[in-house]
Amino acid sequence: MSSRSESEHVSYVVQSESLSKRYGDVLAVDNLTFAIEAGTITGFLGPNGAGKSTTLRMLLGLAKPTSGHSTVFGSPYDQLATPALRIGAVLEATDFHPGRSGRDHLRSLGWAVGIPDARVDEVLSLVELQSASKRRVKGYSLGMRQRLGLASALLGNPDLLVLDEPANGLDPEGVRWLRDFLRDFASGGRTVLISSHVLAEIAQTVDQVLIINHGRLVAESTLDELTARVGGVVRVQSPQLDILAELLQREGIVTTRSNDHALFAQGTTKEHVGDVALAAGVAIHELVTEGSSLEEVFLDLTSEGASQ
Amino acid sequence: MNQLRAELLKIRSTRTTVGLLVGLIALALLFTILTCTLSPMSQLLTEQDQSSLLSFGSIAGVFAALAGVMLFTSEYRFGTIRPTSLFNPNRTHLFATKITAGVLSGLVFGVIGEGLVFSIGMMILKLRGVSIVMTGANVTELIVGAIIGTALWGAIGVGIGSIVPNQVGAVISLLAWGFVVENLVFGFLPKIGRFLPVHASDSMMGPLQSNLLPGNAGTLVVVAWVLVLAIVGVALLKRRDVS
Ligand SMILES: Nc1ncnc2c1ncn2[C@@H]1O[C@H](COP(=O)(O)OP(=O)(O)OP(=O)(O)O)[C@@H](O)[C@H]1O
Ligand SMILES: [Mg+2]
Repeated sequence: MSSRSESEHVSYVVQSESLSKRYGDVLAVDNLTFAIEAGTITGFLGPNGAGKSTTLRMLLGLAKPTSGHSTVFGSPYDQLATPALRIGAVLEATDFHPGRSGRDHLRSLGWAVGIPDARVDEVLSLVELQSASKRRVKGYSLGMRQRLGLASALLGNPDLLVLDEPANGLDPEGVRWLRDFLRDFASGGRTVLISSHVLAEIAQTVDQVLIINHGRLVAESTLDELTARVGGVVRVQSPQLDILAELLQREGIVTTRSNDHALFAQGTTKEHVGDVALAAGVAIHELVTEGSSLEEVFLDLTSEGASQ
Repeated sequence: MNQLRAELLKIRSTRTTVGLLVGLIALALLFTILTCTLSPMSQLLTEQDQSSLLSFGSIAGVFAALAGVMLFTSEYRFGTIRPTSLFNPNRTHLFATKITAGVLSGLVFGVIGEGLVFSIGMMILKLRGVSIVMTGANVTELIVGAIIGTALWGAIGVGIGSIVPNQVGAVISLLAWGFVVENLVFGFLPKIGRFLPVHASDSMMGPLQSNLLPGNAGTLVVVAWVLVLAIVGVALLKRRDVS
């Protein structure tokens, strides 16, 4: 991700320019501009109703923007020759005819773009569904459906995967499987865009995040930058608070006093505070990390009225 | 061509269309066997008596239309319209594929429906010693008209499904139109009613009742209905979001 002025020089896999979508009174997506580079895993984050799915639908040519436009691999989705061979996408985990087998579902999609049955069987084994592939989808568990959806996205051997809330309903093992899978997928220079309404769910998967709220972009940063925002507020109690405060300030750490005679050290870890105290022989009576976690940074960015 | 193969696979890979086909076969057999065996000889003498009886196979049109309706509505109902649209982003092509598949499945319904009614009906009539007064031309018009008419109803079904994506709504619209609205209009205003699709497609099988259009004109009128539905359907598909 980077600023728009560079967009002429770098080629982006996904680009959105002032994308907006209005449904009656609701401005579901509000002037959204962003770009995604090849080889990255981007988390598209926002609370329920933030406009994530609407944005993805516009990127994929399913919904028409009210204004603005978007491209994938430099063209609007529906102007690409055979987009399913370059972009794989899943918008809902449940988009199957219950009476059709998983394999026939994949074949009926793949055949339309000339994908042979051998590839269908390949993706079925990739998502570990080969043994159930001839059963009707109605008998599949949610996890199996998620994997069948993923298989449909992989059919065309795409260079970009777009997944809307792929971890919904997966058990921890499934989430881990998905994480490893996506990391592996992107390691070869391919690109992933996944949405979620929980940062924790994808924090270990993504390199960078786009955070939207009420249809507007509220943050666009790498995960490292986001982690750096985590205000590690360390609460410390000591009989020698004045000395400790000075020691910490010398380290460049901002400190504040609470009214119950504790010291708050910002932007650091309790390990570091403990080390500083030990080195100076200052006694510590309490040492805890308080306040924001990564999730809280996210909640903070997307709380009511928050915007950039 | 690839897209058509894929669409036909969709039809083959669920029980919906097969179920409709089984329903058609059961109804055609039941009706043909009962009426051909039980009708008094006095009602089996004229060419029109015999043609009317053996035209029952055109009921296949209802089944073909229902099967056609499913091609779009079941995609909306189960959400497969999303992956389908991702793999087939051109809505006009998607419509063309589905309407072609609707015509092909309609042909199958027509051949099976009219084939059963005609062959079994003829057999029973001959066994009963009825002298067949239909000419070869009558028979050809009856059979070809029933089959082509049924195929066109497959297309009409696809058109309706593209306009009314709600499955229940589309099925009710279709049945209400075919069994109620058109009969009312034809009953009171036959000069107008004969231009409506059910009566226009009936006329393709010959002058089975008075006030129908001549066969060729009827065919053109049904094709025109298909075109109107196609134009409206494509326009709506292009305008509507897949959400
Ligand atoms: N087809 C539609 N018609 C009317 N309003 C819609 C439609 N689709 C979305 N909206 C509205 O647009 C807003 C954004 O919805 P969207 O589904 O894009 O959010 P989301 O970020 O995907 O949320 P979630 O995490 O719940 O999936 C919501 O207020 C929603 O009610
Ligand atoms: Mg959503």
